[in-house]
Amino acid sequence: MMIAAPASVAEIQDAHSQASGAATPLLRVQDLTIAFPAAVGREAEVVSSISYEIGAGEALGVVGESGCGKTMTSLALMGLLPPAAQVDGAIWFDGRDLTKLSARAWRSHRGRDAAMVFQEPMTAMNPVMRVGDQIAEVLVRHEGMSKRDGFSRAVQLLASVHIPSPERRAQDYPHQLSGGMRQRAMIAMALACRPKLLVADEPTTALDVTVQAQILDLMLELQEQHGTAIQFISHNLAVVSEIAHRIMVMYSGRIVEYASVGDLFANPLHPYTQGLIKTLPEMGQPGSDLYTIPGTIGGKRPPGCRFSNRCPLADAGCRQAEPALREVAPRHYVACHKVN
Amino acid sequence: MLRYTLTRIGQAVLVLLVMTVLLFLLINLMPGDPVDNMLEGNPSLTAASAAQIRELYGAGVPLPVRYWNWITAAVQGDFGYSSIYFRPVAEVLGPALGQTLKLMVATLVLSVPLALLLGSLASLRPGGLMDNLISFFAFASISLPNFWLSLILIIVFAVQLGWLPASGTPLETNPPIWLEVRHLVLPVLVLTMFFVGPLVRYVRASMIETLSSDFVRTARSKGLSEPQIIIRHALRNALIPMVTVLALGFGGLFSGSLVVETIFGVLGMGKMIFDAIRYVDFNLALIGLLLATLVTLISNLLADLAYAWLDPRISLK
Ligand SMILES: Nc1ncnc2c1ncn2[C@@H]1O[C@H](COP(=O)(O)OP(=O)(O)OP(=O)(O)O)[C@@H](O)[C@H]1O
Ligand code: SF4
Ligand SMILES: [Mg+2]
Repeated sequence: MMIAAPASVAEIQDAHSQASGAATPLLRVQDLTIAFPAAVGREAEVVSSISYEIGAGEALGVVGESGCGKTMTSLALMGLLPPAAQVDGAIWFDGRDLTKLSARAWRSHRGRDAAMVFQEPMTAMNPVMRVGDQIAEVLVRHEGMSKRDGFSRAVQLLASVHIPSPERRAQDYPHQLSGGMRQRAMIAMALACRPKLLVADEPTTALDVTVQAQILDLMLELQEQHGTAIQFISHNLAVVSEIAHRIMVMYSGRIVEYASVGDLFANPLHPYTQGLIKTLPEMGQPGSDLYTIPGTIGGKRPPGCRFSNRCPLADAGCRQAEPALREVAPRHYVACHKVN
Repeated sequence: MLRYTLTRIGQAVLVLLVMTVLLFLLINLMPGDPVDNMLEGNPSLTAASAAQIRELYGAGVPLPVRYWNWITAAVQGDFGYSSIYFRPVAEVLGPALGQTLKLMVATLVLSVPLALLLGSLASLRPGGLMDNLISFFAFASISLPNFWLSLILIIVFAVQLGWLPASGTPLETNPPIWLEVRHLVLPVLVLTMFFVGPLVRYVRASMIETLSSDFVRTARSKGLSEPQIIIRHALRNALIPMVTVLALGFGGLFSGSLVVETIFGVLGMGKMIFDAIRYVDFNLALIGLLLATLVTLISNLLADLAYAWLDPRISLK
């Protein structure tokens, strides 16, 4: 259920690549590096020189294991990185470089140009403020609405994310809503000012499977309706493939493979991506044990290719130099010495 | 909400009743006999009148009966006669309670906003200059002894500069309000200094935690300004646990005001209870201590109600 058949995904992908032709993309991240220079006992560089694009209305999926830098990448787009983080590179959004924004300009970017949905709907809302007021707040901030108008608009927004009896729910406090409803309300809040980009950081991870599917359907529906570009983050490749046109696979702060959903499933090139696909239950042999990629991320990075201590194909050459991200087929990028 | 409040009031009354029994027992275990004390103070008392006084005070009557007599009178508003002030207890109590409440309320009104302000400011950049200054202030407030600070303030502002009176109560009967305020400045300052330190530390810690919570990040992601985030989102959440701290601190404030009242010669509850116990004034001590219990009970009740009012997650049934 969670996995789109590659054929249909390929269709979506084709339709999409026609749509976002040669025009400048909405978002272009160039050589983005995020480091915590003061970090002790762990790698200072949590994201290393990554570059990618999101076209207007495009959905980009970002996958990778815990700690590979997905959240840091998303927070960078919102200017919400911890103060200790040091950012290099450029984030071109709608013609300007976000890394150069003043605090004031960041504040008008957040919530209006780009909005974010977080992983934990439980804690992401203010527990002592009514749901409707929390949604209205962003409208008051960016659309200059009165509190009252903001609240009635919030009720409409709650209806648009299919929350039953939205008038009553708007009056409720977050703890009175179920996890799924809270995440719907968060999505309503994020889309309130019709942002061009929605950054969704594992929005379904904390929910149970059926609710997960409903939230994904909702996001797909809203994306089709409004044409909002999405950066959708998950550690679950199956979930990402439901919604994304293109997928970016990250490993230990780097992009290791970056391709359309169709290409990635039909022709995964990086050993890590191949491993990820093998871990999907539906893809394995029926009855066979679930495959896991041996080893864990974290700890000290090996020299050369960062995956070399877990890669089944690694050799001495891999430990010599880090592979660069190369375009090996049209719009299919991979960072591995063994791929030609 | 109403039902909850009524239940809580019922519980408070029950606790108060139990306290009357305990206090009555304890006071009767106190060494010394009020009549002996009176005899000491007045050697011209004849043996006959001493016996009469003893009779009047109910000597020889078994303890449970005495308790029963006392409590039935007390619920009708008759708290007995004070053996050191030579007046009905109620008459002694009223003004003393008034003085102490003035001190405590003024201290609360000053220290709660001050603690919120300083604690929040310190939490904005933990380890920064502002935080260090405020934390130093809080540390000083916690470690300076009340009596020492009182004496220093008296020396500086009353003796040397002559700006403020050294005593907490004006000598005039029916003084104008401004005069009363002038007399209250120094004792309230000392009490505030005593009370605010732990509160500042608490607000700071609570705010640091709240500011790093997910919903504050959500508020940031909406493009709100820092003041909006702090006041609308962080402060209210940080305030909820503060209510309990305040209620618990109230007892401390009560006993803190005892020392301050004694130094500044404020004729408040602290001084009254102190005298009553020292000179074995049964009736006065009993009611004074009960009142202290009542203050604590009421502050706890108010804290619970405030908690429910601030935190929608708590439903009162
Ligand atoms: N304040 C910090 N100082 C130093 N390192 C940090 C700090 N915050 C996060 N990191 C590190 O940054 C790395 C990337 O974290 P990030 O949250 O982006 O991972 P993630 O891919 O989102 O993982 P998850 O799936 O667990 O959410 C982690 O290895 C983490 O240890
Ligand atoms: S470069 Fe070498 S170690 Fe790295 S993924 Fe490719 S084959 Fe594996
Ligand atoms: Mg994350």
